[in-house]
Amino acid sequence: MSESPVTEAPVRASRRRWWHRFTTRSPLLVTIDALILGFVVGAVVIITTTASVLDAWRAVFSGWSAFPHACKITGDVVGSAYRAMFTGAVVNPQIFWHAVTTGHGWTVALTPLSETLTYAAPLIIASIGVGIAFQTGIFNIGANGQAILGGVAGAYMGSLVHLPTFIHLPLTLAAGIVGGVVVGLVPGLLKAYTGAHEVIVTLMLNYVVAAVLIFTLLSTVLQQPGQQNDISRNLEPSAQLAPLFGAASGLRVNWGLAVAALVVVFAWWFLERSSLGFDFRVTGANPQAARASGINARAVIVLVFVISGGLAGLAGIVQLAGTTHYLDGGFLIGNAGIGFTAITVSLLGRNRPVGIVWASLLFAGLGVGGRAMQAATGIPLDLATVIQSAVVLFVATPVLVQEIFRLRQTTAGEVRLATSGWGS
Amino acid sequence: MNTVSRLRTRGIGAFMVLLGLVTALGFGLVSGSSARSSLTFNPVDLSASAPVHVGTLTLPTVIANVVLGLLMVALGVELLVRVPRRGVMARFGAVALLFFLALLLWAVRTTGPAPINFVNVTAVLVGASALTMVLIFGSLSGVLCERAGVVNIAIEGQFIGGAFIGSMVASTTHDFFFAAVAGGAVGGLLGLVLAFLSLRYLSDQIIVGVVLVTMLSGLSSYLNLQVLTPFPQYNTGNLAPNLPIPLLTKIPVLGPVLFDQTGFFYLMILLVAGVSYALFQTRWGLRVRAVGEHPQAAATVGIKVVGVRYANVILGGVVAGLGGVAFMASQGQFQPGYTSGLGYIALAALIFGRWRPSGAVVASIIFGLSLYLSYNLQTFQVPVSTEVLGMVPYLITIAVVSGLIGRVRPPAADGVPYRRD
Repeated sequence: MSESPVTEAPVRASRRRWWHRFTTRSPLLVTIDALILGFVVGAVVIITTTASVLDAWRAVFSGWSAFPHACKITGDVVGSAYRAMFTGAVVNPQIFWHAVTTGHGWTVALTPLSETLTYAAPLIIASIGVGIAFQTGIFNIGANGQAILGGVAGAYMGSLVHLPTFIHLPLTLAAGIVGGVVVGLVPGLLKAYTGAHEVIVTLMLNYVVAAVLIFTLLSTVLQQPGQQNDISRNLEPSAQLAPLFGAASGLRVNWGLAVAALVVVFAWWFLERSSLGFDFRVTGANPQAARASGINARAVIVLVFVISGGLAGLAGIVQLAGTTHYLDGGFLIGNAGIGFTAITVSLLGRNRPVGIVWASLLFAGLGVGGRAMQAATGIPLDLATVIQSAVVLFVATPVLVQEIFRLRQTTAGEVRLATSGWGS
Repeated sequence: MNTVSRLRTRGIGAFMVLLGLVTALGFGLVSGSSARSSLTFNPVDLSASAPVHVGTLTLPTVIANVVLGLLMVALGVELLVRVPRRGVMARFGAVALLFFLALLLWAVRTTGPAPINFVNVTAVLVGASALTMVLIFGSLSGVLCERAGVVNIAIEGQFIGGAFIGSMVASTTHDFFFAAVAGGAVGGLLGLVLAFLSLRYLSDQIIVGVVLVTMLSGLSSYLNLQVLTPFPQYNTGNLAPNLPIPLLTKIPVLGPVLFDQTGFFYLMILLVAGVSYALFQTRWGLRVRAVGEHPQAAATVGIKVVGVRYANVILGGVVAGLGGVAFMASQGQFQPGYTSGLGYIALAALIFGRWRPSGAVVASIIFGLSLYLSYNLQTFQVPVSTEVLGMVPYLITIAVVSGLIGRVRPPAADGVPYRRD
């Protein structure tokens, strides 16, 4: 991940060089420091809002003797919250050791990891779509709308058509991609031919698509028979992404993870090896240079939205075919919208495929672990959203991180813009 | 006047003609000749300062809507033929209001002998005025920030923050003045964060704004569960009282809509007047606009670009925070997620209103009405999906930014970071 050129180091100087790297600003170091700061922000939020902690500190005002107790309570509350988050998202060492020694309880031991991977799969796909757009200098806030329409299109194909799996599943996924492309083409064509700013258009389209979702769910075609509510038919089993280790394993992680892996490979090849991907990155780095070298700016804008929207649509259908298997009015709404999380994931992963994989795993883990934390300690899972957005605020402001951690500066006066203002 | 803007005005005219024809045909001729629509004008609250009584108005739906449609066509044709310089948006607003009136008439039509369904025009306008007020607060905030060249996409987050703090302060002090101060302060603080990150560290304004909204929505639902649920006394009974203005409330329809409102409504009107005056008539306003259009030139004549931007973004945050408190005070309490994108619609109203306070007011009225109707048309058993009506603000905005209905031009340096060197 590190961008700084690594030179052959003399053995003697290697230790000092290591320390030098550790205190010099680099993208990886900024990311790690931003993560630390994000969890500090989360801890501050917990401390200032938990009654037991506040009561313990109130006692300190009556006498210093309560000070050690207050410190202990604070540490306990924050520690137990983050511990529950970790054991809920990755692995509980005790349960895992129990499974290793007795050979039983593997399902329980692996469930946290399985849940994290289940949530990460569509997140990776959507974030790579957003990341490719960012690398081209385009901010696709509409990934959530594109994912929702991908889910709707996939639901039509997956629940109303009857075919064998080997053809039905690919067709369902393709329908999801088409749904996303259709929504993505609107801002793409409008930006290319009228100059409309994609941020406004995609923001507005999110609400239009949300209305379309409710509209289709209440139409008799897609509505689950015998239901009056906004709930769709179930996907046919032939259109579902099967559990990766079989239904008997009890683990929800599904073949959507394989789809995500394919998307990562495709994205890496596309951005690093294909000529179109090169055009994209040149356009993002320097639009004037791109135009001067004969890159068709309009075609690039439209194609970015085709690819970005298509991937968001694929994320929507992977979410649908992998986990819920039916649509309802709450599909990808609000904080749960993977299209919105994808924006923060992509920024954390610096818009590159490999970075996005790590960032997706982290944010999926925060979400899954947040739920476990709420169950274990009563601290609301929305803390995960707070930590996520704090981390991204710091990542988006590398100079602030550099000043907080007193890092040496390497790139003087560097300004990296991901979007353009309305005015330009 | 150049040919492009003439073309733009003609485009709006053509759209208005089209809307008029849709109204005359779709809501008028198809209704059936026996259909009647009734309008009443009673105030919602009959006990308080009842205005002069106005009787129920019963109209034949076909004739009424054909007349309304033709009126819209006439306004559109006038634009097409005369191509006036000023007042284009006002005409568009008038046509939009006529369209909503026709829609209401069509929605409540009754074909039986006795008219049973009716629509209370006053109640609709009063209901929509609460949403409109919040949108105006939000778009005024946007005007303040974007005229100085900083995109404030975090209006939604400032709404949430203002509503949350406003509810807690109003519940504990039972005083909406303190709630407004606290909510404005939180909005201003969020504006400061946006300004700090985007002016000092040159972070991407749009990204910072979007992430701030995510953070506030997460933080507010966290605090709701952690603080407000165990202590419900901090979040209850916060409906702001109406402060009727004597005599003026007696005016039918307009009285209850404009002169029997909460303090926040009057504050909003003062703010609109103040910001329009200050922005276009004072030296301060000239400086702000210079900073938003050409910061380098502004700096050359000695204007402190960064200072002006800081002040405006914080001020904009305060206004949006007040909007959050106003929304909370119209709902009676805080609920996570209940602003449901109003901040983004305010942003749309700002763009539709061409970065002018007056335009933002017209846009907010149209958007507020269409939102209110889409939330409440179910009560009239309308056969048309209310979701479609709910899309209207978003579709209009997309059409506007892409130049399909007129072309908008933002401040030239809007969203472009400024470096002092």
